[in-house]
Amino acid sequence: MTTTVNEPATRQTATLPRLLPAAPEDLRRHLARYGPTPYRGQAGLLIGDLEASGLTGRGGAGFPVYRKLAIVAQARGRKVVVANGAESEPASRKDEVLLRAAPNLVLDGLQLAAEATGATEAHLYTHHGATPEILRALAERAAAGLDPVTVTITQAPPRFLAGQESALVNRLGGGPARPTFQPPRVTEHGLHGAPTLVQNVETLAHIALIARYGPRWFRAVGTSAEPGSMLTTVYQPDGKCRVIETEIGAPLNTLLTSAPQAQAWLVGGYHGTWLPLPQAAALTLDNGTLRKYGAAVGAGVLAALPSDRCGLAEAARVVRYLAAESAGQCGPCLNGLPRIAAALAELAGPRPRRPVRADVERWAGLVEGRGACHHPDGTVRFVRSALTVFAPELSRHEKGQCSSTNRTPFLPLPHTTLQNGIPTSEDDWT
Amino acid sequence: MSGATAFWYASRATGIVALLLLTAVLVLGVLVNRQGRLPGLPRFAVTSLHRNLSLLSVAFITVHVLTAVLDTFVSIPATAGVVPFVSGYERFWLGLGAISFDLMLAMIVTSLLRGRLNRLLWRAIHLLAYLSWPVAFAHSIGSSNDLQHGWLLYLAVGCALVVVAATGWRLAQAARQVPRAARVAAVFAQHTAADNQQTDNQPTGRTRETV
Repeated sequence: MTTTVNEPATRQTATLPRLLPAAPEDLRRHLARYGPTPYRGQAGLLIGDLEASGLTGRGGAGFPVYRKLAIVAQARGRKVVVANGAESEPASRKDEVLLRAAPNLVLDGLQLAAEATGATEAHLYTHHGATPEILRALAERAAAGLDPVTVTITQAPPRFLAGQESALVNRLGGGPARPTFQPPRVTEHGLHGAPTLVQNVETLAHIALIARYGPRWFRAVGTSAEPGSMLTTVYQPDGKCRVIETEIGAPLNTLLTSAPQAQAWLVGGYHGTWLPLPQAAALTLDNGTLRKYGAAVGAGVLAALPSDRCGLAEAARVVRYLAAESAGQCGPCLNGLPRIAAALAELAGPRPRRPVRADVERWAGLVEGRGACHHPDGTVRFVRSALTVFAPELSRHEKGQCSSTNRTPFLPLPHTTLQNGIPTSEDDWT
Repeated sequence: MSGATAFWYASRATGIVALLLLTAVLVLGVLVNRQGRLPGLPRFAVTSLHRNLSLLSVAFITVHVLTAVLDTFVSIPATAGVVPFVSGYERFWLGLGAISFDLMLAMIVTSLLRGRLNRLLWRAIHLLAYLSWPVAFAHSIGSSNDLQHGWLLYLAVGCALVVVAATGWRLAQAARQVPRAARVAAVFAQHTAADNQQTDNQPTGRTRETV
């Protein structure tokens, strides 16, 4: 079956935004805009289009979407698909915003992924659980008989690692949302042993559009290596947070809505990389460009740190949070991250002792690549780039000075009822 | 000293060294399991030492078996190193040696394949160390007159005491273990006791405007 291109809808969606409507859309308006879910009638048929589209996962890792689908499609027996809306990044808001504004697009994508892989079980996993928007969308779709596969909603615990694939599968299986060693990958051995496809909710929304308008339409924006658009969560220097859908490869500066009074960009969230301004001003938002600077778009979290804040203090706050979010399973992460966090806190304060910086760099090397998940690696990337970008500030701290004039925390960390933000019981993970 | 006698001496000597090495490997294994440290070494170095000494013990045991087989003083078939109870000479005690060696090989093979194995399976097989060491010890005492008297006897008794102490320490530590969920908080408390001024303990809210 060839892709039918629906002309009016194509015109509507060929320009950005593709995913985010101006106001949340119910099923009636969703159907009026996009038409019915374009089922292909057979497993596997959509996968070729997804390969041609070049769509990569929007959850952060950027893995080619068609490959995961192909692995699960080839497996025999019971299979599972999961829409992952559990943004691990406390700074990321795009999944939440997308699920509120266009839940039907995500649910279309989930059903299409189920059809393409031959899955008979579908889940939606988010930090907010069964929100009124989701429940309403599911009820309207059930009444219209749109969904061949029933969707089960599971709430993710408020942990940084809860959205990691293996942690997600552990949680859906009734256990704590902690990552486990891979392989075997969840695509081979996932929920209760069944091959499991886990896709970010934004990825599923893109799938729903590619199924309707085809790969050429999808590639009309973005770069040739990284086609399409992506949702970004951008923290402006004035402290405002905006979820912006942008073309991949757009200059970072186009994401700033206020006058750039910033000293550095944080690209890729709390597992991401600091880049100094103004050098980073000319960079574009695609991995091909960012890779040269040791950065990646990740899940599209960007923050422009205003000039009046202390970058080291911000980094120390975030790393303390990241260390507290270790699942406590792997020694290098459990023992290394709190130590790095304590050292960074010293560097963020007045007159840190001389050897502390070298200590942090040594410890960073010792934890890298030695976890069941990438939590230590991501944290180390964040720490190293902070020490590089904020090196001039560090010299000032060594002299007992600090250039910041505003001590209000800038980067967001989650509200938590836990003791000092650190999980202390098994219940904190479920 | 004839060639044959040299093999016999070499076999006895490597056997004694292997016993010392295996004792060290077991104690280091206990230390790795309890996340203990050796003075002046980071934790990962304890793991590396455990790993490397275990491979070194296998080298010594291989020489120990080969020299015993090659030696013509007593007749031991080449298979006796890994197949229990096939040797005419000291059938029982050499059988114990083969059993112990097989268990070690199982531990090493599963450790090399650890990334591809179920963790519980790896762990279950690795726990066989607590069977392998006593069997190897019994083999050492039973098959060799060397260890039955004199200062080598004291050495063997010393090894046994060290292993008993390490195992007891492990059990005591395990009983006092912090539950996994609370481990991060426990480690955190150690490292952040000194610094509370700079990092704010008040978690900040998601108070910013969202579109």
